[in-house]
Formats: sequence, structure tokens, C-alpha cells
Amino acid sequence: MWGLHPRKQVRSLAVGICAVVVAFACGNGGGTGTSNEAAPNDQQVLRINDGTEPNSYDPGQQTYTYEAAVGRMTFQSLLLPKPDLSDVQPGAAKSYDVSSDGLTYTFHLRPEAKWSDGKPVTAADWVYGWKRVLNPALAAGYVDPFFDNSVAGGDKYGDVDSKSSSAIDTFLNGLGLSAPDDHTFVIKLAQPAGYFKWIATLWVATPIRKDIVEQAAGGPVASNDATKAEAWANDAKTIVGNGMFKISEIVPKDHVTLVPNPQYWGGAPKVQKLTYYFISDANTAFAKYRTGDLDTYTASTQNVQLIRNDPVLSKQAKLYPKLTTFWMTFNEKKAPFDNEKLRLALSKSIDRDKLANNVLNGTDKPFSTFIPQGMNGYDASLGDSQKFDPTAAKKLLADSGVTAQQLSQFKLLTRDTTANKTVNEFISAQWQENLGVNIGIEVIDSKTVTSRIRKGQFDIYGPDGWGADYPDQQDWFDIFLSTACHNLNWGCPTLPGYDDNIKKADSSRNESDRNSMYKTAQKQLIDTAAVGFIYQAAEYTLIKPYVKDLKITAIDDQAIPGDLFYHDIFIAKH
Amino acid sequence: MAVPIPAAPVELQQDWDVPEQIGLWTDVWRRFRRNRIAVLGAVVVAILIIDAILAPLLVHFGIVQDPIKQDVTNSFAGPSVGHLLGTDQLGRDMLSRLMHGAQISLTIGILVQGIILVIGGTIGLISGYAGGRTDNLLMRFTDIWYAFPDLIFVLVLVSVFGASLLSIFVAIGIVNWVGLARLVRGQVLSIKEKEFVESARAVGSSHLKIVLRHLVPNALGPVIITLTFGIPQAIFLEAVLSYLGVGIPPPTPSWGVMIQDGYQAIFSAPGQVAFPAIAVAITMLSFTFIGDGLRDALDPRMKR
Amino acid sequence: MANQAVGGRPFGGARPARRLLAPSSRAGALTVFIVRRLLWMLPVVFFVILITFILMHLAPGSPWDRGGGRQLSANVVQNLNVRYGLDKPLWQQFVLYLWNVVHFDFGLSYQYQGKTVSSLLLGSWVYTFTLGVLAFCVIVPVGIGLGVIAALRQNTRVDYVAMGFSTFGASVPNFVVGMLLIIIFGVYLYTLTGGAYSLPVAGFGLDDHLIMPVLTLATLPTAFIARLTRASTLDILRQDYIRTAWAKGLPERLVVLKHILKNSLIPVVTALGPTFAFLVTGSVIVETVFAIPGIGRSFVTAVLSRDYTMILATTVLFSVVVAVANLVVDVLYVFIDPRVRLS
Repeated sequence: MWGLHPRKQVRSLAVGICAVVVAFACGNGGGTGTSNEAAPNDQQVLRINDGTEPNSYDPGQQTYTYEAAVGRMTFQSLLLPKPDLSDVQPGAAKSYDVSSDGLTYTFHLRPEAKWSDGKPVTAADWVYGWKRVLNPALAAGYVDPFFDNSVAGGDKYGDVDSKSSSAIDTFLNGLGLSAPDDHTFVIKLAQPAGYFKWIATLWVATPIRKDIVEQAAGGPVASNDATKAEAWANDAKTIVGNGMFKISEIVPKDHVTLVPNPQYWGGAPKVQKLTYYFISDANTAFAKYRTGDLDTYTASTQNVQLIRNDPVLSKQAKLYPKLTTFWMTFNEKKAPFDNEKLRLALSKSIDRDKLANNVLNGTDKPFSTFIPQGMNGYDASLGDSQKFDPTAAKKLLADSGVTAQQLSQFKLLTRDTTANKTVNEFISAQWQENLGVNIGIEVIDSKTVTSRIRKGQFDIYGPDGWGADYPDQQDWFDIFLSTACHNLNWGCPTLPGYDDNIKKADSSRNESDRNSMYKTAQKQLIDTAAVGFIYQAAEYTLIKPYVKDLKITAIDDQAIPGDLFYHDIFIAKH
Repeated sequence: MAVPIPAAPVELQQDWDVPEQIGLWTDVWRRFRRNRIAVLGAVVVAILIIDAILAPLLVHFGIVQDPIKQDVTNSFAGPSVGHLLGTDQLGRDMLSRLMHGAQISLTIGILVQGIILVIGGTIGLISGYAGGRTDNLLMRFTDIWYAFPDLIFVLVLVSVFGASLLSIFVAIGIVNWVGLARLVRGQVLSIKEKEFVESARAVGSSHLKIVLRHLVPNALGPVIITLTFGIPQAIFLEAVLSYLGVGIPPPTPSWGVMIQDGYQAIFSAPGQVAFPAIAVAITMLSFTFIGDGLRDALDPRMKR
Repeated sequence: MANQAVGGRPFGGARPARRLLAPSSRAGALTVFIVRRLLWMLPVVFFVILITFILMHLAPGSPWDRGGGRQLSANVVQNLNVRYGLDKPLWQQFVLYLWNVVHFDFGLSYQYQGKTVSSLLLGSWVYTFTLGVLAFCVIVPVGIGLGVIAALRQNTRVDYVAMGFSTFGASVPNFVVGMLLIIIFGVYLYTLTGGAYSLPVAGFGLDDHLIMPVLTLATLPTAFIARLTRASTLDILRQDYIRTAWAKGLPERLVVLKHILKNSLIPVVTALGPTFAFLVTGSVIVETVFAIPGIGRSFVTAVLSRDYTMILATTVLFSVVVAVANLVVDVLYVFIDPRVRLS
């Protein structure tokens, strides 16, 4: 607990004096030329800012990207995405078969896979882990809709009495999860699902060691006892995983340290230590990067210009697009936002180019479609109906029959972060400038905003967005199902035929059929302005030149570039 | 018979150095006036108040830019002819926003102290004068209030009543009256034992009269100073609330919001945080000088 | 945090003279006083818990509403409520909570799965307490020192410089002060020394990590204490017995230490009590800017994420610390001013 970052004052001061002399003698030391030679082991450390401390180190309980960032390292899922996101590749399972009716997935596990304490990973561990995710008493955040809607028997999840362990046991035993032998894990689905292979890549569903859970709990754990069931996840020593790293140290609210797992089937990773800090202030993280204590930094909007103009920093920075898009949500259960022309008018009066290039400093891409670029289903041509066009917008407003007077009583609900406030101030000003409509901003703290949108107590809310859990369109279109009203589908738009279309697309296993069905749905969302799409996000990230072999994808965890594929990264001599 | 010699004209006796009888407040005003720094502070505050009132008019007449007009292609600009102090992250004119911000910040500062004075002053007066059980109970009540982390209160008020100017300074005022209550009580406790109060009681003055005529004027000195010190503190608190996300809603400019927004850009555009911070600093200094000047003017022992 | 203005005693008038008690009965009266005040802490804490409890549940939003993006489904929320006992009626939750508190069980955190609030709280408090104590060690000598010097040399350049210095330090918000320190002594120093040395920018450590956070924490209270000390010292300087001491020709240092300081410290000590309490219970700003895992920051996070048990426990800790600090001040007062009568 004490002495987290020991620095020897006297020695560093002496070093400092010598270094000043050397620096003057040898000219500018800026770390420009770095070799490709690996640095010695004690320098093979990657230091990253994870931003916020995970609420839990049990992957089944992790829902935010800052939690998944750690979960991915310590545990490994059945499959992994390919670096180009075009398909999946083997992970902890070396292959899988799908039955002809699409209802049975048989995963062939790697026989050489071992836990970090040396014991072999068995299919029974997998069944136990997946059952934990689906245990209503443990209330895993990501169970819905990924697991309860796909695994056979999972649809009864909401009906189980989570206080009764016998009810829970009955439910869990009735799920389509089985282990016919030690290296085969069979999952039965409730209906065919073309996207199920992607669910197998989620960090949430991993194997868990029943004996360790029980040891940490001091005995067998009843299935309705969530507290005992989570005891193992609070101590680095009892977090035993099948991933390529293991946790060596957790300092609450400060950092977590990961070291290579020598038992990992793919061999230990090259980098010797990962340190994830939990620094919430963007300026502090930036300062830490500039003093050489952090190896990456994702720029806040305000710091982008500075980085671009700096000769050293600009070379270390790059724009990495993410599979994340943002939109403005209209409460369509509240007049007059059920008026399509009005929504289109509001959407078409936002100058997205100015938003992306000026307000957001060019770190995001102006956008008027749903599926982001970089993913199957992206189609810029669909976006015309929402493109910026103030003349058309004015006409639409006039045609809609809604007056500016009427609209001035409404407010744009905004979360209290600087980024959100800035964007919404701009949008509100755009509506004023291009439509003559005065819709003010209402800023409240995040929780209150969430509780209000869940109850439908808002007029317009934004920017609302979605980041892909995996690069399959099902993940996206399920947001706007009418069944998701008040839970992700905040605006509850009326979309005739949408639900059926999506259900068909989800369960189809024919890729081209799915694509065309999703395309129809996307067109419907855009043309009726169910929501107003505004931009696709990207991260302008600084990475020190001595961090080598990063494989950066568009679904990396937020502000942690390349973290899906840390196995081969290394720190070069510098 | 002798001619009566008129008596030599009797010279009027020289008046002893009896100071003319003037009221307490005239005396205070005279002494305050002589304190140059305090007067400077008062002048600056007067300028700020005038600016706060006139700013919208100046915009109307085109002398000063519109504080909420955005020009995002010109964000974070440096000083120029059109924008004497540059622009902020949405291209709005900084100078104009600073001038308009004075309205909110001064309102918060002064009104909050008003609330504190009313609540804290009354409770302190009652507690000190009544003594005994009332005093004990009231002091325990303030103990509870004192121990109370104000963030929850502000958050609840703001989320229940909406983040408006009113809810924010009601929240700040309601939570911060305790210090003044204790101070007033202490003053009252010490003054009520003094002779002039005893004689007032002996004469049969009512309690109310004693409180109003004797206690209040004599307790006022330190109270005024605390209040003037508290005004900039409240402005300061507004900046902190903005940092925590529960500040004044946009697009209204206030110094607190501007400081918080500027802080986010402290690396790339340090002027954004410097200008509003300097404005707050100048306000705070001015009020502190006034407070010091008042304290010196009210001090009966200070030489003329 | 709440107004740090004068905590409890007037800095103008002195307490009325009372019959001096003999030392032995004074000790007895003191013990009774302390015990009575400690007992009074119980109802105070009870009411603090009650009010916090009500306010917490008044605030819209539940612990399970997530910041943005995917929300928990109704099933999951129901399960969570059952698990943490949030489905019970409010009065029942309150009584249950009180019962647990009496047994020193402050419950489980809603935010951090499976961790007890007391372990989280104590773990974080270590850092906050250290920083607070260190800042206090800076504030007391510097604040009092500046104030006394300014008073002794009133209206000279020394006075103006000292007061201007302290006031200016207090008129810039502390997150700006903190970040300025980081920029100057972190980033610029790093560039200046070609990457060899700089003050560490974030995190806690028992070394040069402490310098910038402590300085930032100490800035405002030092200004306040300095100003307070100056005002009360000026009061004392005008007293007749001080003029007598000067007239006697006593050396300045003797006069200052023996007569002036002891008497002028009364209101300062009063203000230092709550100052210590606030320092030691954390500044969310300093902890956020310097990424220190203390309770100031964790409290704000708890409020913003509706972690009810954490909020309640921190509030209880806070109120106990403040009450104890005020008690210590009142006891010290007795030793400084023998005329004080313990009520």
C-alpha cells in the first residue's frame, strides 16, 4: 500500500544534474531514433491509463471497456476477432463446428490450455463459467441480450426467483450448455443466430475455476449467494485465469499490474509487465505522458491542436477510427417529436462538417448513417436524407406544421461532461442559426440523465452513441427494436416492419441475406430520422515510438490501442 | 467718582478637544475613506457592478460582441481587433463573456452571503442571547449541519429542482451558514455580559430592543468582514461545482464555467483559464481590501 | 467543501472573566466536559445518517443506472436490488443500516463488487490523511508566521507583500494551482533537463510525489490562517498590557512569544480545528488532479454513482472527524485562555 512509486530522490537529483550537463553537451535529447532491438527485461513495461478502476475483476461481471481491458488480459474467450475484423479466429477453442440446423455449436478446446496456476482448462470449467454469467443472482450486466436471447433455455432468465437457489439451479441445469468430454464444449441455441460466433469472442464468457471460487468463499457456494461467489475476484492471488497475463498487484483506485502467464498455451507474451493506471483527469494523463511516465495517451479534444503543432508529439500521434457512431435521440412518444418532417428538419440543420472539423478538432468524422466505416454494412450513400442542408431543413420545418414558438419550450438533455456540453451547445446554436428554433440545453449529472431517459422524461437527448461490441450488424440493429424501448432504445420510434426484419436477419445464417435485410433497416432508420446521426468517433492517440508491433483495430477498448492483441508487442531499446 | 472701566472682553474658553458627536457609521465611513487600498477595492467592485448591469446594453449597441454567438471556425483564437481577449472553444468572444460573467458571479457572491447572513445571523443571535438549553440545542443542530458534506445537498437540490442559478446558490447558502452562526453567537456571548447591556436590562428594555439596538451594531464588525471574505469564496465555489459537473448551465457565461472550460484546454490555450481566473482574483482581492478596510474602520482602538 | 470561515469563537471580544478554578477541579470539569461532548456525538451522528439517507434516496437515479450506452435490463436490476436489500421499504433499510453500523458493519459497496465499504474507506483514507497532515504541517508555521510578521509590521511593505502573496494564492481555484504546478515542475522541468528529472505528476508515494499535492492543498488555508492571525494579532497589539511590555523595553522576541502569540492564537486555533478536519477528509480537486486514490475523490464518485453505502460511511467518518476536531479545539481553548468556562 505504501511506496507505490519509489523514486530515489538523491540519486535522481544527481542524475538530473549530470543529465543536464550531458543534454547540453550532446544537444537535444528527444527520443527520436529508436532501434528495433528489444529493451532489457526490466524495461519491458507498458504503462497505460485505463481511466477508471474496474468495478470487478470477474470477467462475467465486467461491462465497461475499462473493465474489459483487464478482463481480456487475464481470461481468454473461445474465439477472437481477426485483426482486420473480417471474421473470427480461434482463441481458447482451436476450432468449432455448427450443426446443419444452426442450433448446436461444438467448440473443440485446446488440450494444452492451462490455468495460470498450472492446472489444465477443462470443458467443465467452461460450462461453470457460462452458467455463472447466466445466474440471475449474480446479475451480470452483459447477460442481456447476448446470452439470455441466444443460449437455449436462457429466455426464462427474467422469470427465475433469484432468492431461491433451487429455482436458480433448475434454470441453470436447463440451459443448453454441456461438456461431453474434457475438451469439448457444446452450446445449444434457442434459435439460429448468424452472429453467435461473435458472442463467443466477448470477454464476458470465459471459464471459471469452481474450486478456486469455493476455496475463496470458504466452502461450497449456494447459487443464490452472490457475495460469496465473488469473493475470489477481490484478491490478486485468487484471480486465476486462462489468459496470457495474470494480475500481480492491485492497488485500489491507483493501478493494476499484470505480468505474463507462463502457462498460457501460446507461450508467454514478450512484454514483461503491463501497468494500468486509473487517472481520470485528462490533463494529468497528458502531463504524465510528456514526462515519460505513460506510454500512450488519447488526446482530449482541447489538446489536439497543441499536439498537431508540436514537432515531436505530432509524429507520435495518429488518428484511429473506432466502430462508434453518435446520434441525437428524439422522444417520439412525446409530441411533436413523433412528426417525421420535424425530426428530419432538426437533423438536416446540423452542419456536421463544422462539428467534426472545428468543434471536435478533426478527431471525428461527420456522419449521417448508422453503421460506422470499417465494418460490414457501412454505406455512405444511404445518408442523403439526413445530410446537412439548411434550405431543405427550413422547408421541412415549415411543412411539418410545427412552429418555432412551440419548439422553444423544449430542452436538449445533456450529460455534464465538457465534451457533451460543447457538442450540444454547438448543436443548439445550429438549430438557432439554421432553423430559427430556440431549444435550450439542460445539463444534469450523468446518473440523473440516465434515470430520466429510462423513464422517457426528456424531449431531445444526445449525443447518444454506440460502440461495437463486435463487428456484426446484429449488435447495432437490436438497439432499435421496439422491445428495447426504454432500454437503449430511448426514443421508442415507430418503425413498421422493423422488428420482424431484424429478427429474420439475426437468425439467418446467410450473409448476403442478412446484409440486405440490415440495409433495408438502416435505410428505414435514416430516412425516417428515427434518430439524427451526427458523427463517427475516432481516437487521436499518442504512442511512444518505442512501443512496437501493436495491432490496432477499431474495436480496441477505449483509449487502449491494440489491446486485443498484446501477445507480440514489445518495448524497443530507447 | 471713577469712570467705570469696561471689563476686558472675556475670551471664550477654548473648547477642549471634545470630538464632535457623530454617529458610528459616519465615523466608520470617514475612516474607511482615508484607507486608500480599501477605497481602491470599493472602486473596483463598483466598476464590476456597473459592468454587470451595463454589459447587455453594450452588446445591444454593438460596442461589445455577443457572448453566445458561436463561430466554431475561429475557436481558441488569440487576441485580435475583433476579439480583444481571443475566443473560446466555440469561437465566442472572451471579453464579452468575461463581462457578462460578472453578472452571474457577483449575483452568486452577494446573494449567497445574503442567505448566509439571514440564516446564520438569526440562529447565532438567538443562540447567543438565549443561552442555556436553547443555545445547546442550536449548537448541536449546527454541529450536524457542519459535519454534513455539502456535495450531496447541492447534487440533490440541483437534480430535483434543475440546475439553475437559483438552485445553486440556495444550495451553497443553505450549507454554508454555520460558520457565521458560530461567529455571531460568540460575539453575542461576549457582548451580552458587558455593562451597557446590563444597564439596558436594568432600565427595562425589551429583549428585542436590546438585541437590535445594542447587540447587533456591536457584533457587526467581524461579521461584515466574514461576509466580504465569503463573497469571493462563493464565486470560487461555483467554479469548483462546475469542475464537478453541477455548475451553471450553458450557454450562460459565468466565471466559474469559464475557468472550468479553460482548465480543460490549459495546455493548448492557457489564456482561456488565465483571464477568468484573473477576474476572480481581482474580485476577491477587492472584496478582501474592502473587508480589511471595514475592519480597520470599525476598530475602536485604532488611532484616528 | 463547507465554508472554512471562523469556526466557533469570536476573534473580537474576549470571554467574560470567571472565577478561576483550582487545577484539580479543573481537570475534573474537563473530563466531564469531554465525556459529555463525546456522548453528544452519538445523536449528532444519528441525525447526520438520517439526513444523508433521506437525501441520497431523494436524488434521482439508482446505483444501477449506467453512465451511457448499454443499460442493465429490468431483470438484472431487480436481481441487484434483491441482492443488496434495496427492494425493502426505505424505513426498513434505514433501521437495518443503523443496526449494522452499531456493529461496525458498514456494508458492501455497490460500485466495487464484493468489497466491504470499511476496507475501501480505510484503504483510501490512509493517503488522504497523510496528505492532510503534511499540508497542516505547512499551513500552521507558514500561515501563523506570515500573519504575525504582517501584523508586527502593519502597513509597511512587508505587510503588503505577505498579505498580497497569501491572498493571491487563495484567489485562484486549486485545480488551476495544481495543474500549473504540474506544468511547471512536471512538464517544463522534464523538457528543461532533457528528460532526466521532473517532479512526478500523478500518484501517491512517500517521496517527491508529495510535494505538489501538499503545496496545492495548503495554499488556500494558509492564506486564510495568515489573514486571521494578522487580524487577531493586531487586536492584541493594541491592548494595554502589550504597550506596557514595549514600554518596559522587553526584547521583541520575548514580547512576541510570551504575550502576543499566546493570546492571539485563540481565534486561530478555533479556525484550525475545522481546517484540520477538512484537510484530513480530503479534497476531491487535489486528489483528482494528482490522481491520488483518497477518500475525497472516492466520495464524489460515490455520490455521482449513487453508491449508497459508501456515501453513508464516508459521511459518518466525516462527521466524526469534524466533531472530534471541534472538541479538541474547545479543550485547547481551555488551556490557552484560563478565563474560559466550560459550559
